[in-house]
Formats: sequence, C-alpha cells, structure tokens
Amino acid sequence: MRNTLAIAWREVRTYFTSPLAYVVIGVFLLISGYIFWASLVRFSQLCLSYGNNPYYMNLLNVNDMVIRPLFGTMGIFLLLMIPAVSMRVLAEERKSGTAELLFTCPLTTAQVVLGKFLGAAFLLLAMIGGTMTFPAIILSKANPDLKPTLVGYLGILLMGLAFLGIGVLISAMTENQIVAAVGAFGAFLMFMVINWAAEAVSSVTLSGLFNKLSLGLWEKAGLGLGGPSLGDLLNQISITEHSKDFYKGVLDTRHIVYYLSVIFMSLFLTQRVIESQKWR
Amino acid sequence: MIEANGLSKVYGARAVVDGVTFSVGKGEILGFLGPNGAGKTTTMRILTGFVPPTRGTARVAGFDVLRDPIEVKRRIGYLPEHPPLYREMLVRPYLNFVATIRGVPRRDIKSRVDRAIERCGLGQVAGRLIGLLSKGYQQRVGLAQAILHEPEVLILDEPTVGLDPSQIRDIRALIKGFAGDHTVILSTHILAEVTMTCTRVLIINEGRIAAQDSLEALAARGEKTRRIALRLARPTDAVEPRLRGLPGVLAVTRDPGGDGAWLVESDGARDVREEIAALAVGQGWGLLEMRPLTLSLEEIFIRIIRGEAA
Repeated sequence: MRNTLAIAWREVRTYFTSPLAYVVIGVFLLISGYIFWASLVRFSQLCLSYGNNPYYMNLLNVNDMVIRPLFGTMGIFLLLMIPAVSMRVLAEERKSGTAELLFTCPLTTAQVVLGKFLGAAFLLLAMIGGTMTFPAIILSKANPDLKPTLVGYLGILLMGLAFLGIGVLISAMTENQIVAAVGAFGAFLMFMVINWAAEAVSSVTLSGLFNKLSLGLWEKAGLGLGGPSLGDLLNQISITEHSKDFYKGVLDTRHIVYYLSVIFMSLFLTQRVIESQKWR
Repeated sequence: MIEANGLSKVYGARAVVDGVTFSVGKGEILGFLGPNGAGKTTTMRILTGFVPPTRGTARVAGFDVLRDPIEVKRRIGYLPEHPPLYREMLVRPYLNFVATIRGVPRRDIKSRVDRAIERCGLGQVAGRLIGLLSKGYQQRVGLAQAILHEPEVLILDEPTVGLDPSQIRDIRALIKGFAGDHTVILSTHILAEVTMTCTRVLIINEGRIAAQDSLEALAARGEKTRRIALRLARPTDAVEPRLRGLPGVLAVTRDPGGDGAWLVESDGARDVREEIAALAVGQGWGLLEMRPLTLSLEEIFIRIIRGEAA
C-alpha cells in the first residue's frame, strides 16, 4: 500500500510540476464552463418569457435544463481529454527508462499499475471537482435538486475512471505516446458507439447465434432459443448507455457494477500485459 | 553472493546471452568486460530481475531471481546504462521517492538520502531539477539512487560513462569504498577501469564468457614465454653467449634502437631474472635496468575477443 501510494503521489507531483495538469484542467473547465453559462442564460431567458404562465412554469426545471445536459457534454469532453492524460502513464516510463527503476525495485507489477492509475485518477478528480462550482452557482440563486446532481457526478466520475483504465491498458502496450493516445481515443469511441447497431440486430438472439455456431447442437441440447438479443448485449457493453441513468439521478447498482468491472478488467489486463512483455 | 548458472536469453532466433555461468563472492568487485552488444547489459538485467532468463538460473544472496524476485530486488542496488531519472523532479524528492519504493523504513529515509547525497557529492545540486543537470551530475544521481538503501549487491552498468576524469576518479573511489561489505558487479568497456577497481574480470563476447580470472592471472596468461628487457652500462661481446648459456633462456637479442639494451626471452615456467642479475653483477656489466615485459590488458583483451589462444 505504501509503495502504491508513493507511486501515485509521485505521479500527481509530476502532473502539477509540468504544464499537463494545468492545461488539461484549464481547458476542461473553460469549455464546460462556457457550455454551462450558455445553457444557464438560455434557461433564465425562458424563465423570463414564460414565468407568468403557470403551465409552462411547471415544465421549466433547472436540473433537467441546465445540470443534466452539462453531464452529457462533460462526458464527451472526458472522451477527448483522457487520452491526453492516459497516453503517457506507462508509455513514458518505458520510453525514459524509468520503468527499469520501477521493475527492479521490490514492487509487484500490480502495485505499479495501481499506483499509476490512482495518480491519474487524482487528476481526473481535480478536473471533475472543479466543475462542482457550476451547481454551486445555481444553488446561490435557485433551488436545484441536490441528490440527482450528486448521482450525476458519481456517474461522470465512474465513466471517467473506466475510460482511464482502458487508456492505461493501451498505454502499457506501446512506448509511443501518440499511438497510445490514438488507440485510447479509438477504444473510447468504439465503446460509445457500439450500441448504434443495437436496433438493427435486436431480432438476433444470442442463443440463436450460439445455435448457428454449434451447428444446431445448442437447440438439440435443449438450451432454448429465447433470451436476450445481440442488441441487448451491445447496449450493455456501451459505456454511455450506462451513464444515462446517472444523469437522470437514478442510482442503479447494475451500472456501478458495470463501471467497476471495466476498471478492474482493464487494470488486470494491464498487469498481465506488462508481465508478458518481460518474456519477449 | 551471486550465482549464475547456464544463463541464456534468446530474443527471436538470436541468443543475446548464451550459457553464462559464474559466481561472485561477498566483498568482490567483478568487472564485466566486453565489446558493445556482447550481452553485458542483458546479463545484468537478468540478475536484477528486470528480464527473465530463457534458460538457466540466477541466485542472489540465496534467492532465485524467478521464484523470489521481491527478495532479490530488496538486496540489489542497480544503476542501468541510462540512469532512470524523472527529469521533471528535483534531486532530493527523487531520492526520497526511490528510498520509499526500495523499502527504506520511513524514519530512515532522511538520513539515508542525506548520506547518499554526501557520498555522491550532490550537496550543491540537491534542490535542482534533474533534467537541467549536466550528464555527469545525472550519472551521480543515478548512482545515489542505487546505493541509498545500502544494498548487499550493487550492479552498475557502465557507471563512469559521460563523466570527466576527476569525477571518474571520485566514482571509482566510491565504488571501491563500497566493496568489502558489499558485492559489486560493474560493466565497462574501458580497460583501465577494470585495472583500477576490480578484483576479478569476466570477459564476455557474443553472449558467452570468453575468460574469467583475476587480473594478475589474466595478465600472465598472455604469454607462453617471458620477455625481459635489459639495459647494461658496459656491455661486452661476451654478453650474448653468457646470457644464452643460462638454463631456461631461449633467445637473446640486442635491441637495435637502444644503446646497451637487450631483450631476453625465457621459458614461461622459469623466472631467470635472479640469475641474470647475478651474472651481470659478477661480470661487471653495470646493470642499469631490468624489467619484465608483459602484454597490456588491451592486447590480452583483443586476443581473447578474437578467440586467439591466449
């Protein structure tokens, strides 16, 4: 634990002694701040125009119209920003030769991977934490619902950590940072759009697929042809599908388990990748 | 302290290290000598547990590098060929970090780091950015990180590369001071370095051990015959036949260049210097100088690398 924290802390120091942290956090806050301001202004104009009409007034909700869209845009920005953070995590250690230090110290690979991940996670936390000023601004003038806001933040954080885990995994596979960044970016986009085909393949059931693959043996074994479709599976894999409930303020353990599994799997695979590299 | 047994490392179809076997005792300074690409770095990486061997075993302080990597790594200080430095860190925080992950107890970190800074002469630059230090200082920071946890075994891959002559002398003194309680392996392709610091030499070529011996033995094995240079103040015509008459002397030639200089070749198994001296004094030749001619380490090294029977 001490080793893991030492590595994480060193990582954090590096972020904040180089321009990286300031650029990433600054750009992220600037753009999400602009989006927040734009939707807030639009919302207040709508309130001014329709404030006298009780029917419309009931439809105007600061949570739905300002905070929730903010989460959606923050999710997209994370997709763009996280590769810039994750690309250097392990690739840089290999390139600069410091990997030789880490892996000849009495540390396990898991400690190194976890330490690096936690360091990067701290930067992500600072990025997202900075945007908490936006709901605070609303709070000073209006009465937003706080619980859905916090749930939304949890969702954004989990999604960011999942992205980060995948990014770290890709960073472990190469010592070229550009390759690591583009690879991570591609993987994130794929995870986002994978359910776009869900509609088209919603009639194909998974059991039907297995039946075809096993040349009919599946059906003969009495395993049945019903059950979830391929489209359901794609929806379940998609990283954004799982974030929607959070943004609405719905806390569903299924989604939490999903994100934690993605994080765990990618860190586990990172550890395996590094171990296997030694043998090449 | 270190036992390597049949170590091999194969990358693709190429064996970078091929069946290397050696052992190093406590307190020894072993010099790894070899041309570039001979397998020195790979052998060191295997010993430190950074790279697993394809075949063979290596044990450090009784622990196998594959089975107990953590125990091995606890006992090793390692300076890789390129010092593993975080360029954006200051010297002292960097050493604090390394001390932590090397497992130095929290309360000892400050004193150990202070000591390493002092031993490596880093006092003036302790608060500076590593990336802005000169190559020599960076090398010293690399050395400091290798010794700060007082490891039993110190493995240094070309420790004096990029240093100026006075720094090289300091570092050599430091390494020598470190031996005794500790075991040191250092690689180099500078022969003088081996002569000055090491107690034993291991010459590696194309992944194999070409020679393994103490310095004196290595120097002596260069020759099947001994050669002695002689200078006389009052040589007479009798010098040549009288010398030739000594038992064990094979040839006597007059050095055409020097006045009164002679070259005596004798059987390698027999030291005839005493007889020559007695003869010269007895005959009143005026013995001015007598010195054995040995092959220089460079010559021996090149002979061994070329595979000539030395």
